[in-house]
Amino acid sequence: MLINQWSIALNLLSLALIFTLTIAATTAIRVVSSWQPAADHNRQIRLENEIWLTSTLIKYALAFLILNLFLFVMAADNFSQIIAGAMCATGALLANSYGMPALYTKIIGIFFYGFWIIIHQLDISSERYPLVKFKYGYLLLLYPLIIVDLSLQTLYLVNLDPDIITSCCAVVFQSPAANDGNLIANLPAHILPMFYGAITLVGIINLSKIPKMGWSGPSSTALFWILLLPLALIAITTVFSSYIYAMPFHHCPFCILKPEYNYIGFAIYSSLFTAVFFGLADSLAACWQTNQDLEKQVHKFRRFSRRLALIMLSIFTVLSSWHYLLYSLLGGES
Amino acid sequence: MLIELDKVCKTYNQGLANEVNALDEISLSITSQSMTCLQGASGSGKSTLLSIIGCIIPPTSGRAAIAGKQLTRLPDRFRTIHRRETIGFIFQRFNILPRLNVLDNICLPLQPLGIKPKEQKKRARVLMQTLGIDHRENFPADQISGGELQRVAIARALINDPPIILADEPTAHLDTKLSGEFMEIMARLRVNGKTIIITSHDPLVADHSAIDQTIAIRDGRIDVD
Repeated sequence: MLINQWSIALNLLSLALIFTLTIAATTAIRVVSSWQPAADHNRQIRLENEIWLTSTLIKYALAFLILNLFLFVMAADNFSQIIAGAMCATGALLANSYGMPALYTKIIGIFFYGFWIIIHQLDISSERYPLVKFKYGYLLLLYPLIIVDLSLQTLYLVNLDPDIITSCCAVVFQSPAANDGNLIANLPAHILPMFYGAITLVGIINLSKIPKMGWSGPSSTALFWILLLPLALIAITTVFSSYIYAMPFHHCPFCILKPEYNYIGFAIYSSLFTAVFFGLADSLAACWQTNQDLEKQVHKFRRFSRRLALIMLSIFTVLSSWHYLLYSLLGGES
Repeated sequence: MLIELDKVCKTYNQGLANEVNALDEISLSITSQSMTCLQGASGSGKSTLLSIIGCIIPPTSGRAAIAGKQLTRLPDRFRTIHRRETIGFIFQRFNILPRLNVLDNICLPLQPLGIKPKEQKKRARVLMQTLGIDHRENFPADQISGGELQRVAIARALINDPPIILADEPTAHLDTKLSGEFMEIMARLRVNGKTIIITSHDPLVADHSAIDQTIAIRDGRIDVD
């Protein structure tokens, strides 16, 4: 289904990003192999001039890759109006075998792409280019992930057949008691106490001195943030979504993105991903807290990211729990 | 040593058919609170050299350091900050904005610093008084004489109180009297602790008593003769 405005937009964006990042990768190879900040020779000075523009281009390309996740989900939601049997993005993504892998790759990707931007921002906050070699080495490691991400997206779009009959979210995310084709049947019970417990734990850890304790503190904090993400996604799908839809048997992580529900899903997911991203970014930045060129900037960034992560986590908790709490406390929304 | 250049080369359009070697392994040292004249014919490379010292362009190779720091190779945002704080420029044609009045032209370098307008005007008025142009404060810049224009350019270069003043052919469009006046002002600034570098092929500048060092440039190289 390539002749569709969403497919055309996504494919053009992919082409532009691959083109930009492939050129950037060639610069990255030169930086990794011959970066010598103390040297005065022509090759080093040319590299210094070149990386300023290249880094800016990479930053915007990766930011577009992050936005691409939202575009991809919106496109899938739009495809559901064309594909037989699909009621929302769930059906559209399950219409072929590339949809879900593409989505998972993009979700994982946004964290790794975002980390490059954070490393870049830290690097340019110093006069001495302390992280140039590292960030370009990291870009070379990211490059295969970017190729896989955009290839899966292209394969999904190419293989999308509007005539194929796909599943709808009512089948895929039916109640845990059901079986065939059910994605949430084997999830643990008592998800809510685990969810609120994890949020409380992450909140307490971030307010305590644990994230500042050497290497083990940031590492364990990062681990809790990583565990919180799937737990939160499961809680949204199995519990909160049905309260938002006001339908006890309707569990779908995608329908909440629809206008019927005031696009509340975008606010919920944005706050969740931002919270987890900055929670992890805090731990990532801790890697350079003893770097003399970056000590001050890292300290400032970590304070900012911890605060932002906690604010976004609070917003996420309120947004996701709102309908559930209304039902629990008032017995309905009337 | 305030300014140190070691084997500085500058090639424009590197690798292209119209490649030009403007500077070829220039090495020089300039002490602080001194006045240096870079002398040479048109196209000899002296303006390129001044631009490298002024952190406007980076060298193609070699080391160009101010107070031990290679400012020309700092990331652009830091280079801009250092240039703003360290260097005052006086251009050949003064580059005064004709639509603005004298006061606003002088205050221009203070705009990105976030200094309050009252403080900006206060600083500008002190300089205008020192340079004898205070009676032209509200005159549009295109309605003042060449000599006054030159003083506006000097005031603008000094408004940030930079330790280094760079002047690119400042007397090229001035008569002998105004050129003499310009050099007297520069001599006073040198006494007040500024480091001044002037490019010129005007003997009146090179032979002035306040000049501590004259460096002759020919075809992008220091002329030892």
